[in-house]
Amino acid sequence: MNASITPSVTEGAQQPIMKHTCEHHAECMKIIQAILDDEASEAEKNHFRENMDKCIPCIEAYRLEKCIKDSLNMKIEKKPCPQSIMDKIISKINS
Amino acid sequence: MLVAMSETLTTNEYTDDLRYEVFNREFMPHIDSMYNFAFRLTMDEDDANDLVQDTYLKAFRFISSFEQGTNAKAWLFRILKNSFINDYRKKSKEPSKVDYQEVETTYNSEEASDTTYTVDLRADAVQELIGDEVANALNALPVDFRTVIILCDIEGFTYEEMAKILDIPIGTVRSRLHRARNLLKEKLKSYAASMGYDS
Repeated sequence: MNASITPSVTEGAQQPIMKHTCEHHAECMKIIQAILDDEASEAEKNHFRENMDKCIPCIEAYRLEKCIKDSLNMKIEKKPCPQSIMDKIISKINS
Repeated sequence: MLVAMSETLTTNEYTDDLRYEVFNREFMPHIDSMYNFAFRLTMDEDDANDLVQDTYLKAFRFISSFEQGTNAKAWLFRILKNSFINDYRKKSKEPSKVDYQEVETTYNSEEASDTTYTVDLRADAVQELIGDEVANALNALPVDFRTVIILCDIEGFTYEEMAKILDIPIGTVRSRLHRARNLLKEKLKSYAASMGYDS
């Protein structure tokens, strides 16, 4: 578990001190969602870069948000529109 | 050549041929996404069929107000969403309006509680859920919250496109999405618990 939450660091670099609580978690949640939606501002991206490798609640929240977003996008069945509906539309606009 | 010019809302000139060409090239490729959006809004196959059909016929009738080169998918989604509100939501059995207002009021009035708001849900538990379970959790949300999640996470619209589709400011898109996701996490949490994934 530790291996997965501790980000890889270049050799010789200091291990960051991991935070077990986040004093601005609500704000971080908004930033995490904006990052995943590809809608974050530069300031939000900077905050993310500076905090995300050392804050355990935020790392876990990022994993969860990403997992939910991916599940919504990939797991939910997408049905094709019935051919009969397409036929009806085409015939009505041609009439 | 006598097309119904009275319906022209802007100055875009469309010949008859062009109307069909734009319709086929720009609108028809989105029909599967439109069908799924309609189905997730109405939660009823017959209503979804009617809604998609109505939307496409409206799109054709008002094609002269579509500016070529702009985002056709967002334009179509906006028409579908408006048709849903005007024609289907009223007759829907779902008391979505009441639920939605209640929920939004609750969340708005408790901005402070947002700061400590977390749902105890693990990513691993979500990973275990199958598509139907995720869909059921999504469907259990009030329609306006469901809508923002569909538009953002399933259809991949930007916040700006969502603001146009929903006729709300971008700030409202952001906050509604944030609240919708908190609600969804609660639903997913109870699913995961009932399936024994979160023990």
